[in-house]
Amino acid sequence: MVGLSLGEKNFIKGGIAQDIRTDGRKRLTYRPIFVETGVIPQASGSARVKMGATDVIASVKAELGKPNASHPDKGKVSIYVDCSPTAEPTFEGRGGEELSMELSTALQRCLLGGKSGAGAGIDLSSLSIVEGKVCWDIYIDGLVVSSDGNLLDALGAAIKAALSNTAVPKVQVAANASLDEQPEVDVSDEEFQQFDTTGVPVIITLTKVGRHYIVDATAEEESQMSSAVSISVNRQGRICGLTKRGGAGLDPSIILDMISVAKHVSEQLINKLDSEIAAAEACEEE
Amino acid sequence: MEFVSPEGLRLDGRRPTEMRQLRAEVGVVAKADGSASFEMGNTKVIAAVYGPREVQNKGQQMNDQALVRCEYSMANFSTGDRMRKPKGDRRSTEISLVIRQTMEACILTHLMPRSQIDIFVQVLQADGGTRSACINAATLALADAGIPMRDLVTSCSSGYLNSTPLLDLNYVEDSAGGPDVTVGILPKLDKVTLLQMDAKLPIDIFENVMQLAIEGCKAVANYIREILLENTKQLEFRRGV
Repeated sequence: MVGLSLGEKNFIKGGIAQDIRTDGRKRLTYRPIFVETGVIPQASGSARVKMGATDVIASVKAELGKPNASHPDKGKVSIYVDCSPTAEPTFEGRGGEELSMELSTALQRCLLGGKSGAGAGIDLSSLSIVEGKVCWDIYIDGLVVSSDGNLLDALGAAIKAALSNTAVPKVQVAANASLDEQPEVDVSDEEFQQFDTTGVPVIITLTKVGRHYIVDATAEEESQMSSAVSISVNRQGRICGLTKRGGAGLDPSIILDMISVAKHVSEQLINKLDSEIAAAEACEEE
Repeated sequence: MEFVSPEGLRLDGRRPTEMRQLRAEVGVVAKADGSASFEMGNTKVIAAVYGPREVQNKGQQMNDQALVRCEYSMANFSTGDRMRKPKGDRRSTEISLVIRQTMEACILTHLMPRSQIDIFVQVLQADGGTRSACINAATLALADAGIPMRDLVTSCSSGYLNSTPLLDLNYVEDSAGGPDVTVGILPKLDKVTLLQMDAKLPIDIFENVMQLAIEGCKAVANYIREILLENTKQLEFRRGV
């Protein structure tokens, strides 16, 4: 990214202080969000989300696998994000690995809950087919095609949309399997089951610039941030995950304030996303 | 397995000399200097060009011409089975090299000394012919970036199955084990700039198969010219001309 001059930096900070950002938005307004579902036909579900110039694709693949010995009644979900060099020349080769790892772990923390699997946005027990033997392995892959700030929110939205688009085939297990051999599983080609995404949270990133916080920062605004907190909130208004980025320390009262702002913004974002996803699915069916 | 039915139809219903449907769009990555997406049937790729810009690694700087670099990466979800490593494997390195050499031959590098042009190609969906789709996308992206070129570079593949030359193989036909000829041409200058083949083919049949691929390349060139013309009209319109 080309460096910013002192005048430009003051313009960005001053604008945010006065509640008018460089593109005319208010501090807590999101850019227009475009959702397109079913972009990857060979995946079980997929979606593409554009927020301004940020463009991300998420794909969900469901494969049969063996559950973990420690959680025999739960399926497995793994999230992996890849930053394409088309987004930034610096992502070439292994340059994007650090950011990819950061985004992957933040998404896992927000969507998958703790080590015991408790409180996950996705109900892992619904993915189990035969306890201890066969379960669904869900692979969620994200790809950052174009980056203009706020990647975490866009990826969270894309994953939510991709999961709503995911159709997991219905499975029939052979009834007379003995205890220690692998049961025969018949994967249906025709009947599908839609994924239940009411529990999937959205991610709101609040970026602190000067004394104020903004939502949905562009790359320019992110370069001026002192710190950022990403909060994942679900439909019931409960916090599902928290990540803080940036070196500057934050007073605890500010963090609590940010959390309440995030909860307030999340209602609008969830409604907007749901309507966009429904519109995209309707478009796809046509 | 039968790849060409007795009525002369392939597995996806095409005729042997019929290309897959082409779709292209210019300017898909807002931050890049030039970008384009190109679809050949189910194969979808995005190309982004950054440059000409300052050379990042001063040791590679050339005083009389521009440095052209290219990276090819495939998304995890691009193939039927989920890929583990999106880039850095040998096939990706080879294709990066091939695309770089092909594009370098047509860019007027002597006009931009001491600079660097980066071409990044990302495969979103792979269904055969990814090499060709990448070259076509890179041509459009370079044109969108305004980088001076001798000519467009277009590419297409062809093969020979069931004793029939087939144009534009998809993944199933490609993995059948028959020959796969990839050709890249400069259409106006009528010169071949890329030629690759695997498996074996008698020489007289090879001439037919290569000629078929060249015809395919010319068809792609016509399509790319239409897209660029349409894009230029849009730009003029937005300038208020």
